[in-house]
Amino acid sequence: MTTAQQKTALAALLGATAVIAYPFLFPGDYLLGVGITAGALATSTVGVVLLLGLAHQLAIGQAAFSIIGGYTTAILCIDYGWDPFVALVVGAALTMLIAWAIATPLLKLRGFVLVMATLGLHLMLIVVAYQLPITGGAIGLPGVPKFAILGVMHFTGETDYFYLVWAIAAVAIVIGLNIDHSAIGRALRALAASEAAAASVAVDIERYKVQMFVIGAGMASVSGSLIVHYLRAIDPTVFGFAFSLNLVTGTIVGGLLSIWGGALGAVVIIGLREVLRELSLPLWEAMIMGGLTVVILIAFPRGIAGFIGDLYDRLVGARRDRRVDVTPPGAVPLASFLAEDKDTAAMLEVADAARAFGSLRAVDGVSFAVAPRSITALIGPNGAGKTTLFNLIGGYQPLDSGAIRLGGREIGALLPKDVAMLGVGRTFQNIQLFDNMTVLENVMCGRHRQLRAGIVEICLRLPHARAEERETRRRAENALAFVGLRGAEDMAPTALSFGHQRMVEIARALALEPRLLLMDEPASGLNDTETEQLAELVLRIAALGVTVLLVEHDMRLVMGLADHVVVMDHGEKMAEGPSDVVRADPRVIEAYLGREHDSAA
Amino acid sequence: MNLTLFLQLLLPGITTGCVYALVAVGFVICANVSGVVNLAQGEFVMLGGMAASWLAVTAGWPLVLAILGAMLVGAALGALQEKLTLAPVRRAPPFIQVTTTVGVSIVLRGFALVLFGTDPLSLPGFSGDGVFFVGGAVMPVQSLWVWGMTLALLAATFGVLRYTDIGRAVRACSINLQAARLMGVDAERLRVIVFAVSGAAGALAGAVVTPIVLSSWDAGISYGIKGFVGAIIGGFRSPLLAVAGGIGIGLVEAFGAGYISSGWKDFIVYGVLLAYLLIRGGVFRVGRAAFAAALANPMR
Repeated sequence: MTTAQQKTALAALLGATAVIAYPFLFPGDYLLGVGITAGALATSTVGVVLLLGLAHQLAIGQAAFSIIGGYTTAILCIDYGWDPFVALVVGAALTMLIAWAIATPLLKLRGFVLVMATLGLHLMLIVVAYQLPITGGAIGLPGVPKFAILGVMHFTGETDYFYLVWAIAAVAIVIGLNIDHSAIGRALRALAASEAAAASVAVDIERYKVQMFVIGAGMASVSGSLIVHYLRAIDPTVFGFAFSLNLVTGTIVGGLLSIWGGALGAVVIIGLREVLRELSLPLWEAMIMGGLTVVILIAFPRGIAGFIGDLYDRLVGARRDRRVDVTPPGAVPLASFLAEDKDTAAMLEVADAARAFGSLRAVDGVSFAVAPRSITALIGPNGAGKTTLFNLIGGYQPLDSGAIRLGGREIGALLPKDVAMLGVGRTFQNIQLFDNMTVLENVMCGRHRQLRAGIVEICLRLPHARAEERETRRRAENALAFVGLRGAEDMAPTALSFGHQRMVEIARALALEPRLLLMDEPASGLNDTETEQLAELVLRIAALGVTVLLVEHDMRLVMGLADHVVVMDHGEKMAEGPSDVVRADPRVIEAYLGREHDSAA
Repeated sequence: MNLTLFLQLLLPGITTGCVYALVAVGFVICANVSGVVNLAQGEFVMLGGMAASWLAVTAGWPLVLAILGAMLVGAALGALQEKLTLAPVRRAPPFIQVTTTVGVSIVLRGFALVLFGTDPLSLPGFSGDGVFFVGGAVMPVQSLWVWGMTLALLAATFGVLRYTDIGRAVRACSINLQAARLMGVDAERLRVIVFAVSGAAGALAGAVVTPIVLSSWDAGISYGIKGFVGAIIGGFRSPLLAVAGGIGIGLVEAFGAGYISSGWKDFIVYGVLLAYLLIRGGVFRVGRAAFAAALANPMR
């Protein structure tokens, strides 16, 4: 059992015990009502963790979706006599449909703009609730029945309803944990750490953002329905602006980066409210919650859940960044992390590619081809346009003119994630690892291209999703072993040496099962021993049948490795050919010696 | 078209628009010197109105002193916000910084609630509660104070920005924060000054408008959002466009209420806001351009 699994098990055990014990410790309809409200709120705050903590989308008008769910429930139950459970499900479905429809345009907005847009949306819905005849205006809709499921189960007693609400909150927590521990959770954390690197492993950012938004909306809707059945009525003030703010502040205080933090946040909000009520200081709630939020953001952004997690680590002594011996590469079966079908290596053709920044022609009509299974090096003095050309191939910058073809297919107009999706892996000159994940998780991120499990399968951890996760882990472990880092799986990337970090980045790119591997100055920052190891690794990668294109300054490395060398200078191709021919080319010597002469002067 | 009705909507629209315009200018200037959009901006207007009313009506201070007191409260809270909550998270991700200002806005709301309670406070008009007529439209005399104060504040702001060292420093920061610091602009000090001034200006706006609209602890969010629209119309760069945007939102609100429905007023205003944000936010700009912008500026 890993530390993370221990924590989850412990949290589940403690949470379940607390919920079961609560009605015995705090009997009476009033206190049970407090517990019911906390449980309903927890369903929402788990959604807030997914949206704010995981997807980093500052959508803070979540109560808008509680309004939709709450009113749908009330209208269907009162006016049409529907079964409350069916109404709850229909309300959630309707809410998620609406959320899905608005998500794509809305989530194009970022940061504070999204804050304002979602708040505006919430305030608009409050106006609708006041104005539409069907929602009963300012009086709202009284007479909502008690909760029942399909006429079979009736939750007439507060204790029964308390357990039901927390059972539903538990479902939300389980869904949240499943997402958090899945490829989606890794993808979203990857995005938070490095947007460029996330794109390099084919992470489809927009899709996951939309999914988290829709799931969060569904949870807020269910929470709204549950609260309406408890209150037996709804009016426009129930899910007002303060409700939205409570969800956000509670989640931040509880711990934005953990599903448990969300649930904890709901308990903190409701608990504080009751304590202040006891003290006859109800008006202090907003100030205290706001103050706590600010203090937590400044001093401890991971909130109470993060604090408890650290405490556990300290007590149990399981720190992630302890030293681990890194083993040299053993005999790793080649097919163990690459696809069996080896006929996939592709030819890359760059035809007349051009890219200018203002009047500077960074890449000016360059053409060359990279043969399948070859190692090709792109060299040239600083400012020759190598990195720009690389970014053009990877889709990080648009082509002005010309064409780039991979296996005959035009890729010049694709986005980085789509280029990666076609099997183009890459490493970065300034290493871009995801510091918020372990080494193994970093490499697992590389396998996004192969993932097929749908969002429902992941939320419910159905067998297909589970099998895929196991396969991802196995292949990532093998890729890590291939680069010689067996034993570093659970370490934080920052605890590794620079050279080993580069190896992790290469393993991540290999996990993609690349047809073409782009390496941007892989030897930069490495010492001689590490450079030798790198050279050996590149040869082994090419032996797997992966086509390699590298940009490099280190001439010894290039000349020892490359089958074919392309020399660039001032944005143009100066020479091209086998490495020994290029080395003897007087123009190449002049370009390099000339540069040395300049720098010596 | 009925001219009297038109004027009766236009003139109050300009009056509330003036407040939004001042909030918008505060947004723009604070964002440019601190790199953070201060989502608590509207709360200073609310606090100014509350503090002035309480000091003048409950504590019985002379009006001028009450207003100065409110401005002092605004200035102190603005400076404190910058010093205590924004300086510590300067190096944190923008996500944390923006959320921190949301937290501060909640604190300020809560602060007003604890101090002044839930009932709206009022303030007598600065020169009596009389009215005057423009083409048949009835206007409170206090409107003149709002207009005059807005003009004076804006003139002072633009004058300072254009002709003083501090103004030049602010403008330098808004063009290139890094370069301005290298040229010796003391950005930390400048930020505290700008936040204090913007807090005081917000409080003054709140005090002047209170005789017309009353002041309530939960009014800050509405000032904040509507001022924000003004700021975003100015692209967070131009204070002048921000003023136009703020007054524009005041007019949309007034005409929406008058010609369409007063109940749907906020729906119309926020609808316009949302539509504007979506159009500006690049909903119609797809593909790589949006992606490149995202790469260059991940959280904004």
